[in-house]
Amino acid sequence: MSRRFGPFRLHQHWSLVAVCLVSAVMTLALGLGFLVLPRYGLQTPPRSTWESICGALGFSKEIRKGGAAQPPAQIPSLIAWTESTIREALAGDPTRGAFIAVNCTACHGDTGISTQDWIPTLAGMDKFVIYKQLADYRSGKRVGGVMGAIAEVLSPRDAADVAAYFSSLAGLPKTGGVRAPGDGRSLRQRKPAKRLVFAGDPKRGMAPCASCHGPGGYLIGVPVLATQHQQYLQWQLTAFAQGTRWNDINAPMRFIASQLTAEEIEALALYYAGDLAQSPAASTASHPRPDAPHAASLGAASAGVSAKAP
Amino acid sequence: MYRARRLVICHFWAALLCFAPAIVLGVWQMLMRSPLPAPLDDPNVYYASVTAHGSIMAYVFPTLFAMGFGYAITVTTLARPLKGQVWAWVGFWLCVIGTAMAIVPVAMGRSSVLYTFYPPLIGSPWYYLGIVLVVLGSYCWIALTLVNLRSWKRENPGTPVPLAMFAITATALLWGWTALGATVELVFLILPVALGWTHTINAGLARTLFSWTLHGIVYFWLLPAYIALYTLLPQAAGGRLYSDTMGRIAFILFLVFSLPVGLHHLFMDPEQGSGFKFVQSVLTFMVALPSLLTVFSVAATLEIAGRVRGGRGLFGWIRALPWHEPLVLACGLALVPLGLGGFGGLVNMSYAMNAMVHNTSWVTAHFHLIFAGAVVIVYFAIAYHLWPQLTGRELTSKRLARVQLWLWFWGILITTVPWHITGLMGEPRRMAMFDYAEPFEAKMGFLNTLSVIGGLVMLSSVVLLLYVLVRSSVGATARVPPLTYALAVNPPAQVPALLNGFGLWNAILLALIVLSYGYPIGQFFFLRTHASPGYSLTEEPRR
Repeated sequence: MSRRFGPFRLHQHWSLVAVCLVSAVMTLALGLGFLVLPRYGLQTPPRSTWESICGALGFSKEIRKGGAAQPPAQIPSLIAWTESTIREALAGDPTRGAFIAVNCTACHGDTGISTQDWIPTLAGMDKFVIYKQLADYRSGKRVGGVMGAIAEVLSPRDAADVAAYFSSLAGLPKTGGVRAPGDGRSLRQRKPAKRLVFAGDPKRGMAPCASCHGPGGYLIGVPVLATQHQQYLQWQLTAFAQGTRWNDINAPMRFIASQLTAEEIEALALYYAGDLAQSPAASTASHPRPDAPHAASLGAASAGVSAKAP
Repeated sequence: MYRARRLVICHFWAALLCFAPAIVLGVWQMLMRSPLPAPLDDPNVYYASVTAHGSIMAYVFPTLFAMGFGYAITVTTLARPLKGQVWAWVGFWLCVIGTAMAIVPVAMGRSSVLYTFYPPLIGSPWYYLGIVLVVLGSYCWIALTLVNLRSWKRENPGTPVPLAMFAITATALLWGWTALGATVELVFLILPVALGWTHTINAGLARTLFSWTLHGIVYFWLLPAYIALYTLLPQAAGGRLYSDTMGRIAFILFLVFSLPVGLHHLFMDPEQGSGFKFVQSVLTFMVALPSLLTVFSVAATLEIAGRVRGGRGLFGWIRALPWHEPLVLACGLALVPLGLGGFGGLVNMSYAMNAMVHNTSWVTAHFHLIFAGAVVIVYFAIAYHLWPQLTGRELTSKRLARVQLWLWFWGILITTVPWHITGLMGEPRRMAMFDYAEPFEAKMGFLNTLSVIGGLVMLSSVVLLLYVLVRSSVGATARVPPLTYALAVNPPAQVPALLNGFGLWNAILLALIVLSYGYPIGQFFFLRTHASPGYSLTEEPRR
């Protein structure tokens, strides 16, 4: 039996009906969304048609002006990771950097591996970290005695070259990236340092250290901490906690460190300097433990350099 | 089955072989989030696991299943072999290779970006390339569906396209339009960063493009199940389809309205103004229309069948239905999560109410309830229904199949109802673990434990599914009647061209996309917006 479509003969104009229905829905939605609803706010007088449309698109005078006077912003760093800054940091020439880095050896060691506990090892450090810290020293955003004077004479290009040089040396684990899965890295972990590193502390709003510093995460401009000197780490955490170091963009380190107890700071520094140095993530690096004999460390480091030097 | 047997069964097995391990991962993830001790309790493993689970469940399993089901429908409704079957195999292997390419780096911990990619997170380029290959493979299927339909229509002018074929074409077209958003995001925004060509990514633009895909994909998962409700269920229930025309209109409405609604996933995102969020919220409400049509149609169809089978009274027809048929049982069971999830969806799509549940486990509960409870359970039933056609053997045990469906049904309810509650209590989603020493979280310990039990029930259901399907694939062959589709109460002798093709509907859809996504995407090209540096999960940016 053939099917007829009722007495209205609507089917002869179905295209028109369909287009009209959809247009009606769309017109209603656009009208309500751009003309009616944005016009009336609880705390604002009714807006004009033009203001309603702009408001619905996301442009609003109220947003632009801001409410009460804001305190002057404290700018933690002049570095923002834009495409051009990243390219500038990446363009460093390690050979040229090696010449400039002669100035660094007195404190940071011949091969970038510092033998002094409160001076960081630079060998193998991510080039973006070195580049940003030099820029912060230069602009006075990070205060560190002699480093300010040294960084002042380096141009951004010099800084990129030095960063390229140190990052090419064997030392700190190269990336915080891939790590072997392991047990006991959740909030059930009892050891406070391991718990903080891998699980953080939600109660205090603290993200796990590992999500930026590795192992397991890589955030641009954030150093890998495994095998870094314990005393240096402890000193920096304390500086962040006390606000004497404040060049962390968006203040995550100041926020976290200021909530850590002295015992936790010590345990964390010890964990990154010690326990993690033996973890699979760090095992490829030839950087010695801080307590290893000096001669062995030099030997291991130079072996690493000859293998990896540009 | 017109020489498409191997093709369809390969798609089904590939889909199921990805699905089963993804279920195991899901159970472990729930264990990790519960107060119970979990092996390998490492948040990084959790996020790798969620990525694998999500990528398989969102991209691989339903796509392969829809493709296999689509080929089966194409050859059986058009009653002839598939034109261009070589390309179907090309598509299949692209999907399989793409899946392997995507999952291996995830398993290595190099791409824990979750299936929604979350730029500026950047994982291994192999992962993204793998997903692109899966999409390319599925595009082969879309092209073949359109080519076969067109050639059939040319040879049968004036004959109505069978409803099942019409519906699977709507599904294919929907996926074709839908996949564009994420594919453009992958190819033009994420892959250049993952490959080291650029170093920053406009996360707002990327998220907007992904939202283009994020809701249409849900209906792409849903439509194969709806096809079964419209075209296989009436017959299995022993009756006729209530209305062929209503079916066509429902599938057309799904095609037109399920794509330009994705901004409701970005209600809490700052990169879009409220105007277009509201517009897409209204359009989302329009999707409720074909859903209600479908519920009405299915209920009417089942009532017809029930009364034909001698059911009397207001509810007597329900008891008269052949519930021993897996397909009937699955469809009946699917309506419960569909109803619950539908109401939950109304909450999510309402601009104001969304704010209360947006980043809580309510949302996780919602999409699991709809996808597993209403969609996958019908996929199982479709597999049971088609299995005899594909293997030439009868289904070994309908009783075990029924037990499997019941287990799945209770499993998903036990899993997701507690999540809904914890979501309303404020439990955040995308969390690897919770501190149950905290009083706020301690209250949720019991509910999260309950969801683990639900997960185990679902896992046992999957084991049973594989057992039934494997057992029904071996042994003596039998005479199996050919696959047929439901007749409508009033079978269409002729249908208006508008309900027999998609020309105008594609044009309307394009217009809706331009109107509702034109500005939200276009603004990034003329406003000063900023790109963020990629957050690489594995290594520093390359030169």
